[in-house]
Amino acid sequence: MELERYRRNLPEISPAQQDVLAEKRVLIVGCGGLGGYIIEALARAGAGHLRLMDGDTFKESDLNRQLLASSMNLGRPKTLAARQRVLAVNSLVEVEESPYFLSVENAAEALAGCHLAIDALDNVPSRLLLAEACARAGLPMLHGAVGAWYGQAALLPPGSKLLERVYPAHCRGLESAEKMAMLAPVVMQVAALQASLALRFLLGDEQPAELLWHLDMERGSLEKISF
Amino acid sequence: MIIVNTQEHPWHEGMTVQVLLDEKGYIFRHIIVRVNGEYVAEEDWARRMIRDGDDVVVLHLTAGG
Repeated sequence: MELERYRRNLPEISPAQQDVLAEKRVLIVGCGGLGGYIIEALARAGAGHLRLMDGDTFKESDLNRQLLASSMNLGRPKTLAARQRVLAVNSLVEVEESPYFLSVENAAEALAGCHLAIDALDNVPSRLLLAEACARAGLPMLHGAVGAWYGQAALLPPGSKLLERVYPAHCRGLESAEKMAMLAPVVMQVAALQASLALRFLLGDEQPAELLWHLDMERGSLEKISF
Repeated sequence: MIIVNTQEHPWHEGMTVQVLLDEKGYIFRHIIVRVNGEYVAEEDWARRMIRDGDDVVVLHLTAGG
């Protein structure tokens, strides 16, 4: 391991754990708001292999909250900007770029060889699709979602039905039906929560569970609830 | 006493889901409520009674990323 690069990960991440982290492969689906900050945190911490999946390009309305969005890269693929950012902050990380939207056809291939799939998506149907693919692959899924002053995250075991309970059938067009405010600090908080859970899982310190972290900045609360 | 999102909250006679949401100041347009694990549809909030000891979860429904 690179002692100096990771010196300030000590003692929470020991040299032996750092080596473990370097061997892990993580799929991040969505490289926008949540994804940008998650990728940043995992790359800096030393997650060894990041597979970045997103078919979108940056647009002006992303600038209010997305770490990787800048006036320089409007119109450019999000995965390309993410890859360049990772290599700039930690060239030890192997990056695989998948400039496609998640689909029934490509989900299994996207998950192949991964230890964890992270949901940084922006719509419910894609999340349910990722959850199904994770169930088939026997992989845990780290869910995250955000809107207005609220957000949530959950490290789910394969086959979990928690998302189906969180999103009743009549609510699954929510984000496309009504665009909620997406505020940078709330996006950052949910992404930070997801990145923390991801690191702790990859290091063996956190196990998937049917629990939802619920962030409510209107009341200033963060609750871990059974749902 | 009831539990709302893991925190204790005083119960009183006549408490419906809607009364509880008003007391707690939940004003977001998209909210999901479960009482003792059972989903309560929005059209039932005004008549679904909360009983002493109930476990209520109120979730702000978000889907962005």
